[in-house]
Amino acid sequence: MSEEAGSGHRRLGGRRWVLLSLAALFLLCAWHVGLTPAGLFPPDAERWDRAGRFFAAALDPAFDYQDDTVPDSADPILIKGLKGIVLTLRYAVAAMSLAIPAGLLLGFFGSSAWWPEPCGRGLKAVLRTGFVLSRFLMSFARSIHELIWALLILSALGVSPIAGMVALAIPFAGTLGKVFSELIDEEARSAASALKSIGHRPVQTFLTGILPRALPDLVTYSFYRFECALRASAVLGFVGIETIGLYIQLSHEEFYYREVWTYFYLLLALIVVVDLWGAGIRSRLNPSGTV
Amino acid sequence: MSAFELEGISCHYGNLSAVDNVSLQIEAGERVALIGPSGSGKTTLLRTLNTIRAPDRGTVSVFGDSVAEFRAGDLRRLRSRIAFLPQDLGLVPNLSVLQNVILGSGGKRGTWRSLRDLVLPSKADVLRIHEILERVGIEEKLYHRTDTLSGGQRQRVAIARALFQDPEALLADEPVSSVDPARARDTVELLTTLSEEKGFTLCVSLHNLELAREFFPRLVGMRRGRVVVDGAPDSIPEEKLSELYELEAAEMMDDA
Repeated sequence: MSEEAGSGHRRLGGRRWVLLSLAALFLLCAWHVGLTPAGLFPPDAERWDRAGRFFAAALDPAFDYQDDTVPDSADPILIKGLKGIVLTLRYAVAAMSLAIPAGLLLGFFGSSAWWPEPCGRGLKAVLRTGFVLSRFLMSFARSIHELIWALLILSALGVSPIAGMVALAIPFAGTLGKVFSELIDEEARSAASALKSIGHRPVQTFLTGILPRALPDLVTYSFYRFECALRASAVLGFVGIETIGLYIQLSHEEFYYREVWTYFYLLLALIVVVDLWGAGIRSRLNPSGTV
Repeated sequence: MSAFELEGISCHYGNLSAVDNVSLQIEAGERVALIGPSGSGKTTLLRTLNTIRAPDRGTVSVFGDSVAEFRAGDLRRLRSRIAFLPQDLGLVPNLSVLQNVILGSGGKRGTWRSLRDLVLPSKADVLRIHEILERVGIEEKLYHRTDTLSGGQRQRVAIARALFQDPEALLADEPVSSVDPARARDTVELLTTLSEEKGFTLCVSLHNLELAREFFPRLVGMRRGRVVVDGAPDSIPEEKLSELYELEAAEMMDDA
């Protein structure tokens, strides 16, 4: 046994120190923020009770308002929730239809795959400037979280639909652009160089030889980001924009946990539907599964 | 008129000399096999013929014009007249056969037209591509995705793309290096027959000496970046040809 452990240690070699350092770093951070195992549990009986009611409500979502003050003329809760889902979806779709073209543009200028070769000095300087500029814009856009963008834009424009849309579109364009440019740069160049050798122009080579190859990956990634946008759009409700998140927050504030779970399940259903739709499109793009 | 005329060209990659002071003239309509061991400079020589690689020394003339003073646009127009069959075929795997073949005309048609061709090919083009695919024997694959085809079928797609370009010359880099012997023979036969039918100049680099002798009226043998034999298969003594490859074997044993 001890011999086995000894040989295991030897095999780990330098990696053992990395693992030990990471573990030490974790403990240090945990100590620094005051993390104790006790902090994982509710501190008093009242909070235990509240947590219990919250999770119990998961099995018993509301089909009627828990709030008695809601007038009879109001939409039933399921209808209200569905409307919230549609609003959530609308923000995500609107934001993505801004973010995808912007991301494509940023990704194109943030990639060197389409640069002519050989390339004159003046032209190269222009291309480099565009490259650095678009890389900077992408980093800036995505280094700030969509919630922070929302707060910034809301304070400038007030609570308006356009604010929510732009707040989502900016960081999403940054992330899409960065990943698009990486996908494009990683794409094999064999078709591009064959097309170049029969007289295709540099940008033409990019559009006909590189982009079609990268397209399935771009679509797959855009779908993944669309799911993220749905969740982000829901979260925008917490800063006052009317999405399902706003309803979740309002019900939660009043401790109407069963209503909260109704909205959760509707959001979950939306995400599952979008995921299935995305899977369908992916399988159509890659019927052979060889790419 | 000469299709290609190389005068004293040399190409280097760093310190490595790939092509060393080569002069070569290929007449319009001629069929030439470039033979020699791997690393003898065949690929670099082919790349100078379609002007993708500019020589470090010497001059290249194509279809009667010296390309030295050509601007980028002139070079592209020139390349659109020369088909090139790279060793890895250079097809877009997730596009259909039709889309890959139609891109052969991209050099002549320009960016917007070839984007339109990818999305909405004209009826006339589809008909012509169908005919070409019939000629190379894969007409039933017109709308198939290229990555669902076998290696031999993909090679036919690349040849069809070259034909759709309606070229005045076709250059092929080791087209049979990765196919089995029976198919290798078919491919070389197809290329030489097409060259006769359509009248385009054909220059193929080949590792397979037998196929070169059987199908090409002119062999150009390269070794270490130089042309060491040039002539009709019958005019070149057997020893001289086998020497090309024997030396390679000897060198490989030395290296080992």
